[in-house]
Amino acid sequence: MATLQDPIELSAPATSRGTLLALRTALRRNWLHFVLLPLMLFWISPLAWIIITSLKSRTEVFDPNAGILPAVLQWGNYPAAMAVAPFGTYLINSVLATGGILVCELITITLAAYAFARLNFPGKNILFTLFLLQIMFPIYATFLTNFVTVRELGILNSLPALIVPFVASGYGTFMLRQAFRQVPTELADAARLDGCGHLGILWHVYLPLVKPTLIAFSIIAVVTHWNDYMWPLLVTNSESVRTLPIGLGLLAKSDSGADWTRLMAATVVVVSPLLLFFVIFQRRFVDSFMHAGLK
Amino acid sequence: MAEVVLQGVSKSYQGKPTVHAVDLAVADKEFMVLVGPSGCGKSTTLRMIAGLEDITAGRLLIDGRDVTHAEPQKRDIAMVFQSYALYPHMTAYRNMAFGLLKTSSLSKPEIDRRIREAAEILHITHLLERKPNVLSGGERQRVAIGRALVRQPKVFLFDEPLSNLDAKLRTHMRGELKRLHKELGLTVIYVTHDQIEAMTLGTRVAILSDGRLQQVGAPMDLYMRPQNTFVATFIGSPEMSLLRCAMKPNGSGSVVSHPAFTTHVPERADAGEILLGVRPEEVIVGPADGTALACGRVDRTELIGSEALAEIVVGADRLVARTPVTKVPPLGAEVGISFDMERVRVFDAASGRVLSRL
Amino acid sequence: MVTGPALRARVSEAGLAYLLLLPSLVFLATFTYWPILRSIYFSFHDVVLGSNKIYFLGFENYERLWTDKLFWKSLGNTVFYTLVTIPCAITVALLLAVALDSKLRGMTFYRSAFFYPVMIPSVAAGMVWVFLYAPGYGPINSAIAALGLPKVEWLYDARWALPAIIFMSIWKYAGYFMLILLAALQMIPADLHEAAKLDGVSAIDRLIHITVPLISPTLYFVIIIGLLHSYQIFDYVYVMTQGGPADATNVLTFYIYQNGFQYQDIGYASTLANVLLLFVGGLITLVALVFGRRVHYLGR
Repeated sequence: MATLQDPIELSAPATSRGTLLALRTALRRNWLHFVLLPLMLFWISPLAWIIITSLKSRTEVFDPNAGILPAVLQWGNYPAAMAVAPFGTYLINSVLATGGILVCELITITLAAYAFARLNFPGKNILFTLFLLQIMFPIYATFLTNFVTVRELGILNSLPALIVPFVASGYGTFMLRQAFRQVPTELADAARLDGCGHLGILWHVYLPLVKPTLIAFSIIAVVTHWNDYMWPLLVTNSESVRTLPIGLGLLAKSDSGADWTRLMAATVVVVSPLLLFFVIFQRRFVDSFMHAGLK
Repeated sequence: MAEVVLQGVSKSYQGKPTVHAVDLAVADKEFMVLVGPSGCGKSTTLRMIAGLEDITAGRLLIDGRDVTHAEPQKRDIAMVFQSYALYPHMTAYRNMAFGLLKTSSLSKPEIDRRIREAAEILHITHLLERKPNVLSGGERQRVAIGRALVRQPKVFLFDEPLSNLDAKLRTHMRGELKRLHKELGLTVIYVTHDQIEAMTLGTRVAILSDGRLQQVGAPMDLYMRPQNTFVATFIGSPEMSLLRCAMKPNGSGSVVSHPAFTTHVPERADAGEILLGVRPEEVIVGPADGTALACGRVDRTELIGSEALAEIVVGADRLVARTPVTKVPPLGAEVGISFDMERVRVFDAASGRVLSRL
Repeated sequence: MVTGPALRARVSEAGLAYLLLLPSLVFLATFTYWPILRSIYFSFHDVVLGSNKIYFLGFENYERLWTDKLFWKSLGNTVFYTLVTIPCAITVALLLAVALDSKLRGMTFYRSAFFYPVMIPSVAAGMVWVFLYAPGYGPINSAIAALGLPKVEWLYDARWALPAIIFMSIWKYAGYFMLILLAALQMIPADLHEAAKLDGVSAIDRLIHITVPLISPTLYFVIIIGLLHSYQIFDYVYVMTQGGPADATNVLTFYIYQNGFQYQDIGYASTLANVLLLFVGGLITLVALVFGRRVHYLGR
């Protein structure tokens, strides 16, 4: 193949027909960029708009004659935004709630997934279906009666209220069960001969081997619950337990669109932790979302 | 001392029996090979000995102790798996140490000493800090054997350990295993589907088929004196030819008549159908004249190095004969054949069992 | 035939299994099954938020549902949102995935650029788009004006509010679907495409007759994920429009919220919640029946 093509390519630039041909190949190879580049610019424009606005002055936002970029960078918008509401407390609450959910979920799904993947017991199929049912009915479908339950439990407006509905995860159990089933049974047999019981096998053999799945699940769980809006909105009513998204929503409501610069500065603060992690661990994030559920 | 005794050991899955009352005694320092076609129950039997499958009925004794229902780690055994089952996230060293750390109260230096010693024997000292994924098939095999050695168990169980290696390496590791067995005086129970592996490795070989033990004996014994047609055809390559004949008692022996020939055998039984078992080297090929027992036509010949095999049609049957390369009969030729009547054996056609010689 | 010790082993295995499932089951029962059962019970009663008294109503709540125009409107909006957003987002995602599946330079950058909206909290996304859609000073209207077209009131116009939210949803989720589809595309053996190319099959035919059937299990999975994500419309409605203008963006989840939390009528809100459960459950079952059987599994 290569030897056949070489003479043509060598002689091609000599003629004008050759240049045209080269141009056409270049175009054919790169035409996708002409479609994707504008699309990509459109996709990132909201993010760009957030950042640009967060550095503008208030008059620039409403002035149709002002340029797209701010004349002077208004870094002062950031401290101003942070001063309106206790964002430090929101941040701590977000970390505690998301971390709490993640730790609880990892424990429950690990145990349940091992049972479904490696143990035999009556009612296995029915129970597994019940677990999968949860995927179909997330908090958005059950928030009303769950609110009543949480209220009856007397944990409204507290950290546990933010966590409890998410402790068990049908999706996580399913994902991890699939991963456990990929582990060769001979490894479990070898571990039994090496003196491990079920929990020993789970801890020493299964968990180290499914680390990629655990990381993928953790990333998805963190992204989901860090951004949760509806449930925290319903069960929190004081600053001491509110999370970042709720705080941001409140700020938007109180400003009612009057002060976009301050609001966008706050948005940058709320959005940046995850986006920073995303930029740093891009491969991991992309892989996690890419392959979750495909295995 | 380490003896393994199976007494009527059986296994059923959901009511379906897969291993039928196996009785087997493995002596101390013996290399016992369990061999049979796939699905014959040999692996299940080994896994029952290991404690990885529970025993549905019967008893298992290791060193006189009843371990029928004991946990695997309490049986004083070690196992080498077909896929080696090395923990991928641990180094070779950790793989070998893991079981000792979990089950024994040995001190760290003692564990280290055992690992170094085993590594020395297996020539893997330079690989100890590596993880399985960077090791070759043969190296993984050695680490897996090392993991069993450091346990210093009473019995070593091997589940088709060579089947994932290429042909050359397999021959080499066969030699290694033989050397280890002899030098270290190990008691080994070894499962394989490869009859050549069974014959070269085993001090004794147990042949299984359909979950039943067919015959146990030294390799040569199985080859020369198979108890039934299954063992007769399973052992030996190319396999034994079976010629269907009628038999009638006559004098001290019997007369055997085949459509192509009639002859006399020393076995005695009631009149009926029998199968005459002849190994390729027991067929004597000569000119088609009066001196031969029967006449046949050469249908196919095959050169296998120092010798040749000839497939000869005799009546409705075919049989394989081994001949020197210089005397290969031409294709289609009529040849005379005779048998080494001292060695041929007679099987009952209905039960497949061998008829005893008086 | 299971005898003594073997039976004991099996029983203890089952016991361990139930023990391992227990933590999950406790929470699933309390926060998934019990709420569903309870909302069925509540729907036959008059329940007021914060009061312990419950009165039996029979089918009264369901009769009210039948004549409640706002309910029908919110159901219609929900159906419209779901049935437009999911096919559009998946089509965009599929085209993006196919485009990015080639060995294009800057592929990873494109991929991240399309994917990042998934990382942004719904409340933040909603707010930014309120800004972008703003009638007077919003950049979208500025761009439209620059093109010489008439400005649109977007979220303040009953005709445009729901499509505006749909458009934003596509921006938010298409990248996620794209990523999952991309993973599936990369698993298709290259020789299938090469064989088709040699047979002279056009690019569009290859997409329709080779690519789509081969990734159909993933497509099916993406539809389910899309259905589940469409629940999140509550966040956008809450942040962007509060159901307005003139209930043009009132959807079932938001209407449940209004009845339960603003009017404190838990009984009627539960009745609505049951309709939502039936709607999503029915849709997922439908998808499973229609697509579940036709998917081609690639050696799996």
